[in-house]
Amino acid sequence: MAGQGIERRELLRILGTASVAAGFAGFSKWAFACEPVHAAAKGVEQIKSATYTPQFFFADEYPVVVRLSEMIIPSDDGPGAREAGVAEFIDFMAFHDDSLQYPFRLGLSWMNAHSERLHGKKFLELTPADQTELLRHLAYKKEFRDGEEDGRDFFKLMREYTTMGFYTTRVGLESINCPNLQFYNASPACPHVDDREHKHLPPPKY
Amino acid sequence: MPKQIYDVIVIGTGAGGGMAIKTLCEAGLKVCALNAGRKLDPGKDFKNHRMPWDMKFRGYDDPKKRAQSYGYMDNEYTAGIWEHEINYTTAPGTVWMWPRCFAVGGKTNFWGRSAARMGDIDFQCASLDGFDVNWPVKYDEIAPYYSKTERLIGVASTVQGRPSNPDGEYIPPMNFRCFDWILKSGADKLGVPYLPDREAQLTQEHNGHPACHYCGNCTEGCDIGAFFSSPRYLLPAAEATKNLELRTNALAKNILVDEKGHAAGVAYIDRNTKQEVEVYGRAVVVAASTVESARIILNSKSRFWPNGIANSSGQAGRNLCDHIYGSTAYGYLPQLLGQSPFPDNVSTAEIAWLPRWQNLNNPHEEAFIRGYSIYPDGGCGEFPELRGIEGFGVDFKREVKRKYPAPVNLGIQAPSLPSPTNFVDIDPEVKDAFGIPVVRVHFRWGENELKMWEHGKQVSREIFHACGAEYEGCNEHPQIPGWSLHETGTLRMGDDPKHFVTNKFGQTHDVPNLFVTDASVFLSCTDKTTTLSILAFSMRASEYLADQMKGGKLSA
Repeated sequence: MAGQGIERRELLRILGTASVAAGFAGFSKWAFACEPVHAAAKGVEQIKSATYTPQFFFADEYPVVVRLSEMIIPSDDGPGAREAGVAEFIDFMAFHDDSLQYPFRLGLSWMNAHSERLHGKKFLELTPADQTELLRHLAYKKEFRDGEEDGRDFFKLMREYTTMGFYTTRVGLESINCPNLQFYNASPACPHVDDREHKHLPPPKY
Repeated sequence: MPKQIYDVIVIGTGAGGGMAIKTLCEAGLKVCALNAGRKLDPGKDFKNHRMPWDMKFRGYDDPKKRAQSYGYMDNEYTAGIWEHEINYTTAPGTVWMWPRCFAVGGKTNFWGRSAARMGDIDFQCASLDGFDVNWPVKYDEIAPYYSKTERLIGVASTVQGRPSNPDGEYIPPMNFRCFDWILKSGADKLGVPYLPDREAQLTQEHNGHPACHYCGNCTEGCDIGAFFSSPRYLLPAAEATKNLELRTNALAKNILVDEKGHAAGVAYIDRNTKQEVEVYGRAVVVAASTVESARIILNSKSRFWPNGIANSSGQAGRNLCDHIYGSTAYGYLPQLLGQSPFPDNVSTAEIAWLPRWQNLNNPHEEAFIRGYSIYPDGGCGEFPELRGIEGFGVDFKREVKRKYPAPVNLGIQAPSLPSPTNFVDIDPEVKDAFGIPVVRVHFRWGENELKMWEHGKQVSREIFHACGAEYEGCNEHPQIPGWSLHETGTLRMGDDPKHFVTNKFGQTHDVPNLFVTDASVFLSCTDKTTTLSILAFSMRASEYLADQMKGGKLSA
């Protein structure tokens, strides 16, 4: 397979069109998330918690956005929403998109109200296990409960913007080994020349 | 100072205009080209190598602008390039989206690059199925121009011997991806062809243009010119002759006439100064793209031409056609779940095609006449497909990774038939920002193309089933008219001046020194894409025009 192309990023640097994301107001992590190194290799400790001031979310809302984004795409054996600065991205998008503002605000209020109702505490004060339990009922069809429709809508929105914020960063795309992170010097060809129907592939990696 | 008179004024610099400009300049004629927008700077304007994180809104565009987007090519990466200032209207009941690229080179800067020849199955369609009329040309007349065009631009494909698709002269094709082979195994079982597309994307260096580097973002413009575009492949040759004067931001308003009612030049608006300017020529070529060309013709009213210049037939604006686009099946290939990612998206999803296989033995074999093609895409994209993935957390993340190489999609390209319901005229009430009456579109999908859509959905699902793909659905409705950017008709060519605007050389029947060289002369849009044919027909028309001028037959 043709695969030994130039790193796209490298070419960008040569072309003088390197990342401008770092120049946008308020972003502390985008630039980091997009450096051409594996964040995981650097170690999570090196990622300083943000001095970020949200533009849209209130001070008591933003940590919930951070927590939810990290629950949706956790940092496991590789980087997650935290390293990709997803919460900052969501704040940025909500700030610029009027149509998102009410649903996010309503949803975050719902999460706390719901948490109070179930456990007598706000969402962030719950144990991680209780937080996960609460979220499971919003996320998995089999575990849906009546009366939690608003919460399910909010989870859907939160997941949409979390994935959008994660898989549009270098660390996010590296986490799925996105082939478009590089160029190819020949038209890539299916390597399975003896198995065109792909019935005898090696066992799935994931 | 005496007024300058050029040999030819060409309106438009896209495929049709660019080829006319090149051909005429090389024939030694002095050409003034009018282009409605600015010249692009590939280094600055083409953002095909920006990664999502290099974009302010990660490629999702400013939320305040999203609603105004004219389709998939008009996005954050191409912001400021697609036309938004000049308006148009739609008749009650018409839904039509009109993406226009007024930059120099027009839509060739961003086109899909599929470049199949049309054949006698298209040109002689009425002899086969009795609907509408034949084109005034036979394939043999056009074939040499297809060859010259293919040699010029470079088309990657194979000789396929398909009855619906004449073969051409090709550079090596792009290779099939894993999912192509799997989908092909399903198509094979049904007897549906699954072949390398005809793609004007350079698999090797060609005429000094570099080979593709497979970044996969062609529709955001190619900074190195590894696929055909007018500014890379046509205009430099014209400029080299020193016979070209290119005027940018020159929005054509109407064609000027002399005391005999022949074309004398063009009046345009200089969009920088907002002033009207006149430019004079011994002949005029209109190639502003199908709908825009009709607007210019219809707005060119004079005492000679009360219904628009060269429109004694009343046919200018009629018979607008377009391709139905839409997903006829999407889902995923279980075979590829959890496998290593493969660079599937190195060509904005155009490597293979399922060229027309319907109504080949008998033109009335199906419930519809003529035929359609299908284009597959899928695999690892620049954003993972999340459809059908539930939940959150470590499991979710793994599932995204597992499913990443597996999604597949089949998209239809089905031609609308010419219909009296589908046309453009001039809106009697609305004017654009420069006071020019705007075009009004009347359009709806007809029964024949909607039958193709239904047929395409059924066959696509069968292909999925036959290759073991998991079918997850299809588009509920086809994309809205205009989406494909393949509009044709409005100034159709034909032998009879009573029923057609131009003859087979794109020369208007009424006005011998007025030519049309874009897809507006096409009788219908066929199952093929338009650009290659625009280039071939424009080359032929322009050679004819040059010969006529040199022979002194067009002295206005």
